[in-house]
Amino acid sequence: MRWRPPSQAPTSLPHDSVTGSQGASGDSGVLAPPMNRMVITILSLIGLFVALYLWAHNLGLTGPIVCGIGDCATVQSSQYATIGPVPVSAMGVFGYLALMGLSFAGIQPRHRASPVIGGLMLAGAAGGVLFSAYLTYLEAAVIHAWCQYCVASAVIITLIFLATLPEVARLRGSRS
Amino acid sequence: MSRAEERRQAREVGGSDMKKFYLLFGAVAAVGLSVVGYNVSSGVFGGAVSTPIDVEGLDDPEALVALARGVAKGDKAPITIVEFGDYQCPGCAAFGMSVKPLIEQTFVETGQAQFVFYDFPLVGMHPNAFLAARAARCAEDQGKFWDYHDELFRNQARWSPLQNPGGAFRDYSDTVGMDGKEFSSCLNSDRHADVVTANMQLGRMMGVSQTPTILVNMGGSTRRAPGSRLIDIQATIDAMAAAEPGSN
Repeated sequence: MRWRPPSQAPTSLPHDSVTGSQGASGDSGVLAPPMNRMVITILSLIGLFVALYLWAHNLGLTGPIVCGIGDCATVQSSQYATIGPVPVSAMGVFGYLALMGLSFAGIQPRHRASPVIGGLMLAGAAGGVLFSAYLTYLEAAVIHAWCQYCVASAVIITLIFLATLPEVARLRGSRS
Repeated sequence: MSRAEERRQAREVGGSDMKKFYLLFGAVAAVGLSVVGYNVSSGVFGGAVSTPIDVEGLDDPEALVALARGVAKGDKAPITIVEFGDYQCPGCAAFGMSVKPLIEQTFVETGQAQFVFYDFPLVGMHPNAFLAARAARCAEDQGKFWDYHDELFRNQARWSPLQNPGGAFRDYSDTVGMDGKEFSSCLNSDRHADVVTANMQLGRMMGVSQTPTILVNMGGSTRRAPGSRLIDIQATIDAMAAAEPGSN
């Protein structure tokens, strides 16, 4: 007896099978913008302005630092406010810019299913969380003073990291 | 599928989400730019006088002496050790951090001498020095001159290269426990610019051209110490004491 292919065999995979639960689409084959990447873009923009304000202050471009809670002056004038010649705030500006750029690109139609962008965001956010944890440790255990902007940035990067977790599913989907 | 068709479909899929996203993105960007922009503009154009001003009558020695004013540490004593200093000069920072404490310990606390600091910002080479001198005078208004003076020297490397050190100066006012609002209002004005300018003129009249310059006053006569080390000052005091009438 000769084998015959089943008449209703699927001829292709569903187009959004690599995107997990995010980015459902219609019948067109184009994915909807992943919600988590939109969230990351907005959070990165907020983080960017927080870091930009601190950097402008470090450069002497602002007036007195506005610090309602904590002791920003002590933190900002400590030796830990810079790593070598580079202010920590400047690192924050470029870090948030990179995350914002990646996530913004990742919601454009051509890149909505891109696992590369997802992987880069995941790695960047994980690095940011670790660096932020180190800075928070310095505030708590070494400088013994808190800067509200540094705490805000730590919260923002943690939220960004949580928002990158759906990218794990995308990465797994792209490998299978 | 053509590219135009792809683009049309992309607009349709999640188009309403993208519209909301762009609106939110624009709103956050506008708020962020406004806040940062306001702080930068208020810092750069804060109205703080950071260069010497025209003060009438400074050519008249009597008027100059009436307006020029040093800040004294310790009670009146037979000897007065005077420093003409610039907060942005590295030599003054070294003197302030290492020699001044020894002077206090050796001469001021023993009642032998009073230490007096006069501003002499070298504005030609140190663009932040005049504002720093005014900041210290604003600290004096709150009884924190010497704490602030030391804080400025301790952090000199940090604020010295800044384009506008006003924010850093305010930070130090917090560090030494001053009323920040009062300090900012003083710094963002022309307060004490006349005294600092008069002190500069007084220094020039006394032949000061570099900082730190240390003068020793004893028994009505004044001598310039050959250097700013403790032994230079001690040698000057010893020489003046030996030259005094009645000494052996």
